[in-house]
Amino acid sequence: MSGKTAFFEHFDRHAHGKGLKGATTHYCPGCGHGLAHKYVAESLVELGVEERTVMISPVGCAVFLFYYFDTGNTQAAHGRAPAVALGHKLANPESIVVSYQGDGDLASIGLAEIIHAAQLGIPISVVFINNAIYGMTGGQMAPTTLMGQTSTTTPHGRGRMQGPPMRVSEMISQLDGATYVERCALYDQRTRKACKKAIKKALTLQVEGRGFGFVEVLSECPTHWGMSSIDAEAHVRDVLSKAYPLGVLKDEAAEPWFAPEKPCFDPGRVVEVIEASAERPERFCSGFPEHVDPVDVSIKLAGAGGDGAQTAALLVTKAAINEGFDATHIPSYGPESRGGTSYADVHIARDEVLSPAAPEPHVLVAFNAPSLAKFASAVRPGGVIIYDSSVISAAPEVDASVRVYPVPCAEIASSLGARVVKNVVALGALQEALKLLADESFLTTLRLSLASKCAMIPVNEEAYRWGVKAVREGISAFDD
Amino acid sequence: MPKKQRPPVVLTPALCKGCGRCIEACPKHAISFGEEIEQTSGYVPVVIDYDICNHCGLCLSACPEPYGLGNTVYDLEHPEHLYGERAARPPRPDDIAARQIPLPELGPLVLKGNYAAAIGALLSGCRHVFGYPITPSTEGAELLSKLLPKLGGVFLQACSEVATVNHMYGTGGAGLPTMTFTSSPGFALMLEGISYMIGAELPSVFINVMRPGPGLGYIGPEQSDLKLCCRGLGHGNTHAIVLAPTSPQEMLDQTMLAFELTFKYRNPVIVAADGFLGQITGRVTLPDAMVEPGLPGWAVYGDAAHSGNLNSSIFQDWTELERHNEHISAKYREMQKHEQRFVANHADDAKTLVIACNTPARMAKAAVEQLRREGLPVGLYQPVTVWPFPIDGLVPLLDHVERIVVVEASDGQLEDELRLALHSAGLRGPELSHLRHMGGILPSDREIIETVRGVTREA
Repeated sequence: MSGKTAFFEHFDRHAHGKGLKGATTHYCPGCGHGLAHKYVAESLVELGVEERTVMISPVGCAVFLFYYFDTGNTQAAHGRAPAVALGHKLANPESIVVSYQGDGDLASIGLAEIIHAAQLGIPISVVFINNAIYGMTGGQMAPTTLMGQTSTTTPHGRGRMQGPPMRVSEMISQLDGATYVERCALYDQRTRKACKKAIKKALTLQVEGRGFGFVEVLSECPTHWGMSSIDAEAHVRDVLSKAYPLGVLKDEAAEPWFAPEKPCFDPGRVVEVIEASAERPERFCSGFPEHVDPVDVSIKLAGAGGDGAQTAALLVTKAAINEGFDATHIPSYGPESRGGTSYADVHIARDEVLSPAAPEPHVLVAFNAPSLAKFASAVRPGGVIIYDSSVISAAPEVDASVRVYPVPCAEIASSLGARVVKNVVALGALQEALKLLADESFLTTLRLSLASKCAMIPVNEEAYRWGVKAVREGISAFDD
Repeated sequence: MPKKQRPPVVLTPALCKGCGRCIEACPKHAISFGEEIEQTSGYVPVVIDYDICNHCGLCLSACPEPYGLGNTVYDLEHPEHLYGERAARPPRPDDIAARQIPLPELGPLVLKGNYAAAIGALLSGCRHVFGYPITPSTEGAELLSKLLPKLGGVFLQACSEVATVNHMYGTGGAGLPTMTFTSSPGFALMLEGISYMIGAELPSVFINVMRPGPGLGYIGPEQSDLKLCCRGLGHGNTHAIVLAPTSPQEMLDQTMLAFELTFKYRNPVIVAADGFLGQITGRVTLPDAMVEPGLPGWAVYGDAAHSGNLNSSIFQDWTELERHNEHISAKYREMQKHEQRFVANHADDAKTLVIACNTPARMAKAAVEQLRREGLPVGLYQPVTVWPFPIDGLVPLLDHVERIVVVEASDGQLEDELRLALHSAGLRGPELSHLRHMGGILPSDREIIETVRGVTREA
């Protein structure tokens, strides 16, 4: 063998390197895998990257790649080698990662992974051995098996019912993410030389951070083709390479681009990124709202998606936590972002919220008629209902002990020029009706939440004050 | 180059399989099929006529065997090199330990459960996150896709859950912390990969925000995958530590614990939350330290120091594979011995014990507090690890516990774990009854109270 390679001098992992297995491969005589291995092994050394290379071995005949390559090695599940390769490459962008796969592995079970890896375009190198058959499992049809070709699962030859063979390199070359795609063969000196050159080029593109390289190798499987090694070479030359024409399918000039930042573990930066702060918000409450419940107040806010019930619920939760209580918010969550029903259960507890659901709330805030109809009767005796009287005309029939406040939330918000703040009007009303926390608890939380949208703070504050005023003065209809 | 200046071509007959690909490659027709069987290999090697050979070397690049044809006579002079004992490997590098970095005292955050777990991952030093969108877990991936680039990290949206788990297999295999957010149907797709991770002993953290099935089911809360997490992690003899949070705070704390345990045991760890826990917002106190990950000696990191390493779950020798399974099983026994976790409330003198985890444990706690106020001797036993089931903490309670009520949002998946644990401990256990809901409905505190009153009355 010429020159230095990335092969182990002694194949210790091959049956513990006992006897001949310490120096020979497990491949059948005449198999093309050994040649493809050799070209990878030579190229890695020629590029000086063998020590930082990770070879990903597939499921298939090349599953034992790690017997031979004196590099880092990871053995992947069937078809998943490109996904595993990306995991390695992103973990250490300096590493050189080679995904080595056969035709069943890559073109059948692993088609999604290879297509998306190629389209992603992160510089990894893929060597795709196409011998038009499943080798390891014993000669079954592969996606690349030729029409008419017999295999153990196409005993009468591949026909219409099996569909035509898949031209993978053509497909990969259509993807914008792939930089370089070439199909090679191994049947004579000229094709072997071209194959070595292609593999080295794909690796070079990775070493230089330029892009995703894909080399398809038409390879001999004398065993499952039922041919001698020499006939198998002739078969690739005369048949296989006619169905799968050799050559460069794509070779885009690409500037080096892949240079991810190093992970940051600076605690100051981490604290900033997660938006944590040593500052604790000021407290304004003198104590827990025992007049509502001695230990745990539950609130339900309900409306149509987009009414702002969730945002209002979150503000109540935050305000309560800022006051030192425990609080939770559970949204009804659905696939509809807008328009569906949306309700939120909030609990505020002196010490600890236990059950976070609010099937029988102390307070209901309803933004539309269906919500009011659905939840009004669940409100506890002595509780409070606030509903948007701009859109709900009829007051609910409830227990006499329940205080009901019609508040024209939407109309007030419209008059302020911002329909989205109707939920904040409701918050003001909620606080005024219940004296849950303190006005400043809500206003401070509002300001903190709008820190990145300062321009919205005044209109929100005004909306809140209108909500307070509506309850205080019994404004149930609003006409500006 | 004249013949004399080129190194001679040397055939090692024992390493030649006689495929004859060199015969076609030789322009001088110096190589031919042999006729004699090589005694050591059983193959019939080719024969080189050295009088004709001009050392052109074209046969070398046609030979599929690494050492069949060569340019040196080294192997021939030292046949023991071929047949000898295992050659020395470079020593595995030392572990680079993870580092605890103190954090300043910080005010509490108000976080959705999914966000809390995401921040737990960041504080655990995880900078490589993979995922595929699925309700009700997706906010975790969304937040990390926003925050990771600010910390030199990567969020990669995979093409499927199958790809996700294999990206994690790569990054975990490189020795770095990695995680994903998923929900039941997506988790089911990851099981193959989890089995491979267990086989190859790789770390990774899964936040499974469980939703109802079977099939597409829907997106509400259910404890639908406890069986899958505890008994069904893909093929083979598989187990993983399964943590069951009850609040956004525990979503953060248990995610951080999961990262610690996954590296400790080189085995995946699952945080099994129900849909409510992904969606619930609450108060989260931050820990006093964050983690800068190290690099384990076994990692396939892709550098010189770690280049002798291999991540693999394949063992051709059946005896070796059995030994490997025994090694993994020994780790399971260690987990069962050291990692059982639970929380008990009013359990020390309870005659009726409610067993619940995840969000139903909160309803159960509310119910137990209420029943205690009424004077009933009821307690709560909340498994924090569903696997290993915390049987050791339960056994002493059975001296006074007369009946157990299992409260869960599944068709008895938690109860099955309890029954198995009792049986394995050689106990029949007290009378068992249960309250179950499915489909996204959680048992309410009122139902739990009624159920407990009912079984107490019957007794």
